[in-house]
Amino acid sequence: MSRYAVNSLLYRLKKDPDFRARFEVDASAALAGLDLTEAERAAFVTRDRRKINELGGYLHLVMSVPGLAAH
Amino acid sequence: MTEIARMGERLTATRPDALIVVADDHLNAFSFNAVPALCVRIGRTVQRMKQDHAEAFDKVLDHMPEEYPLHEDLANQILEKGLDAGFDLAMSWEAPVDHAFLSPVNTMHGTRPIPPLVPIWVNSFVAPQPTPKRCFDFGRHIARVVASGPWKVGIIATGGLSHFPELSLPRVGETDTVFDRKLIHWMEAGEHEPLRNLGVDELHKTGEHEFLNWMVLLGAVTPARAQVRYFGELPRINLAAVEWSLP
Repeated sequence: MSRYAVNSLLYRLKKDPDFRARFEVDASAALAGLDLTEAERAAFVTRDRRKINELGGYLHLVMSVPGLAAH
Repeated sequence: MTEIARMGERLTATRPDALIVVADDHLNAFSFNAVPALCVRIGRTVQRMKQDHAEAFDKVLDHMPEEYPLHEDLANQILEKGLDAGFDLAMSWEAPVDHAFLSPVNTMHGTRPIPPLVPIWVNSFVAPQPTPKRCFDFGRHIARVVASGPWKVGIIATGGLSHFPELSLPRVGETDTVFDRKLIHWMEAGEHEPLRNLGVDELHKTGEHEFLNWMVLLGAVTPARAQVRYFGELPRINLAAVEWSLP
C-alpha cells in the first residue's frame, strides 16, 4: 500500500480531464502500468471511494474526483 | 454569514493597509510535487483558482473577482525575517487561492474594496503536518514583523472547527462539539498555552485539522481574548465566527 500511488492517481483523475475520460471508458486499461497493489487497483476499477479512502486516499481528493463521487 | 459580514465592516472601519489570510490548501494550489508546511505568497497579485468540474465549495468562486493585489512589502518581510528567525518558510509566486481564502475575504468585504492580501498556507491535512506549537510560534513571528513595520494590518484565519474526523469517508457527518467548546473556551479566556500544547494527532482524531490555521492567528494576536460571534452545528461541520480586537 502506497499513500503516494493512491493519491497521485486521485490527483491526476481530478486535474487531468483526458486521463479521466480514458479512466471512465476503460479503468483497467487506464491504470495499466501504474505501480498499484491489487487491492488499490480493484478499488479504483470498481470506483469504491470508501475503499480508496481506507487505502490512504485523502478525503478531499476522494470527494472531489468527478465520477467517483457519483458511485 | 451575517456575522462574518459585520466582522468585515468592523475590519474595514480600522482601515487596514494589508490583510493577512491564513488558510490550508486542499491540494488545489500545491500538488504532490511539493507540500509546504508553511508557505508565504509573494509577488504583486494573486489569482483565483480556476478548475473544471469544481466541487461545491469552489463553485462559489465563479462570481468572485479573478485577481487580487498583494502587499508585497509585508509578505517579503514575513518571509525574509522568518528565515532569519529560523522558520524555514516556503515561498510561492504563482500558487492560486481557493475558497478557503476567497470565501471569507469576499463575504467580509461585500462590494467594498479588499485590502492588499498576504496569503499564507498551512499544511493542515497531508501528514506530517506542522505542530500547533510551531504554527502558534510562526504567528508570534508575524506579530513581531507587523509591530516593527509602518502598516496597520488585519489578519484572518479560516477553516472549520470539527468535521471529517480522521479524514475518514464513513465518518463524514460526525463532529465533536465537546472538543470545539473546549477550544472556544480557551480562546475566550486567552489561555493559549493549552492550545499550543495540542497534538496534531488530537486534531486529526477530532476533525479539528484546520485549527492549525487558527493557531497561526492565535500566535499573532496573543494574549488577546476571543469574542465569539457565532457558533453553529451544521450537518457535516461545526463552524464558529470569532473576533479579536487589538488596542
